Amino acid sequence: MSVVSAPGASAVPPRQTHVVARMVRHRYDYLYIMPAMVVMMVVIAYPIYYTIELSFFRTPINLQMRDKVWTGTDNYVQLLNSSAFHRVTWNTFVWTAVSTILAFFLGLITALALQREFIGRGVFRALLLIPFVVSAVAASYVWRWLYHSDFGVFGAAAMAMGLTDRPINFIDNTRTVLASLIVVNVWRDFSFGMIMIMAGLQTVPEQLLRAAQVDGANAWQRFWHVTAPHLKNVSMVTVLLLMVSNFNAFIIPWIMTGGGPAGASDIWITHIYQIAFGRQRWGLAAAYAVVVFVLMMMLGYVYVKILTRGDERRPE
Amino acid sequence: MSAVRKKGFDGWRWAGRLVLALMLLYTVVPMAWMVLTSLKTQFAAMQFPPQWWPKEPTLANYTRLLDPRGRIGGDFLLYFWNSFYVSFVTTVLGIIVAVPAAYAFSRFRFPGRNLLFFAVLVRNMFPAVIFLMPLFLLMRWLGLVGTHMSLILTYLTFGLPLSIWLLKGFYDNIPVQLEQAARMDGATRFQAFVLIVMPLSTPGIIATSIFAFIGAWNEYLYAATFINRQERMTLPVGIQRFFTEFATDWPGLMAATFLMSVPVVVMFLILQKYFVKALTEGAVKS
Repeated sequence: MSVVSAPGASAVPPRQTHVVARMVRHRYDYLYIMPAMVVMMVVIAYPIYYTIELSFFRTPINLQMRDKVWTGTDNYVQLLNSSAFHRVTWNTFVWTAVSTILAFFLGLITALALQREFIGRGVFRALLLIPFVVSAVAASYVWRWLYHSDFGVFGAAAMAMGLTDRPINFIDNTRTVLASLIVVNVWRDFSFGMIMIMAGLQTVPEQLLRAAQVDGANAWQRFWHVTAPHLKNVSMVTVLLLMVSNFNAFIIPWIMTGGGPAGASDIWITHIYQIAFGRQRWGLAAAYAVVVFVLMMMLGYVYVKILTRGDERRPE
Repeated sequence: MSAVRKKGFDGWRWAGRLVLALMLLYTVVPMAWMVLTSLKTQFAAMQFPPQWWPKEPTLANYTRLLDPRGRIGGDFLLYFWNSFYVSFVTTVLGIIVAVPAAYAFSRFRFPGRNLLFFAVLVRNMFPAVIFLMPLFLLMRWLGLVGTHMSLILTYLTFGLPLSIWLLKGFYDNIPVQLEQAARMDGATRFQAFVLIVMPLSTPGIIATSIFAFIGAWNEYLYAATFINRQERMTLPVGIQRFFTEFATDWPGLMAATFLMSVPVVVMFLILQKYFVKALTEGAVKS
């Protein structure tokens, strides 16, 4: 790598220079990001292009691309008209909204409760963070065992406390399955909310809190008028990240129920996976993926807008 | 925060304790039941009402999984090694690629910077399943299907956006003046980067590595799709095989999930302070 840097790199450049001139002047900057960009291009840009292409064709089961048949927008029409798509989309929105709200709210109150100094705080924090790093596969098996319809500990505990007279069937029941899976999802996700809010709380200046107290503000007023405004940005980032990861969730429903019973816990990604690798309808699955992709792009736009806000004040 | 404490009965304080107690219960009960079940025999686990505490605790499930001569133990240890190998290589390659990119995004104002940063972040938006079919075809074309390289390449791109983002936060907080001073002393920009900035960003690199390693260690979807040979499987997929083959061996499965969680949990607990710091610097101050 050349070590001679462009002369204008750290000086303030004149405004309104031609873009090519600026690119030439900054040419060595690109060397730093090139490795990352090459990897991204190969493994991201190409697959996106490929998925869009697939979605307009009918492709044979063995994925031999030269035998594909152009079908125009048939896959899209078929998808948007199918009742399964509507049911699964509804499930996905319920799953995402409830999981995100619960995970964020529980993360927030746990982080606030951990603000105070007390003996053993470090141990508490560490224990509460563990679900965040436990693999979703492991968590799914553990919870499947907890929910087991014959030997599950929850059913047995409920019976021992006299709440029911027979073991509860959590995940083989179309009415309780989605809620049961959301509990598992929140179990893994709330630690993420907690760790983000904990990081955000470190940016709240303690003098402000003390000043508010001197002025007679009670705990709620201190939280609402001093702490909450400082948490606004990090909260928005956290909620968006949680939403994205919930929209893209796959492992928990896949391993715990496979989308069942009767599709009651099917969400977008498990459904796409079934269409693609189960029924081998590659074109339909690709069209599905494109629709999801467009929705995620809209979300991504909001996400980056928030993240890069105020980033441009730094001089060139 | 001790300054913000009231005297007498403090409702908020008790509310905080209640929250912590309930959340601790929510967090710990599943993990505790996993460990308790793993110490039971198959017979003891399949009782109703359950044995709340194992009457005759046994480590047989663990010794069976960790015995390299047995069939189950041999497979399990192989999956364990595969997971470690894939995660480790992914982490090292990821850092090599992410560090210069994050530095460039933090320091330089080149045309297209915002667009590229957008591309980096947006990667997180995409459902993994979108990439599944094309990447499968790509790997087939490259002759990599069924190899660990196919997983390493894929995980590399999973980890990159977040790695770049976290590291950028660290670089943003290292004063530019340090580099400028080095430049005045005759160092080139690249030398300043390697000699001044790199050592200062070690905590960020550690935190980013943990994240990349955990992500690769826990990944399931691609591992399940790309790896077709039993001896190359990673843990999340291999463990599934245990489950279907010994359909009702819950204690064995719980022991396997426990062993699978140990490396990442231990690593995370030791290094979590770097992790919180990375989030504070990267995510929050942006």
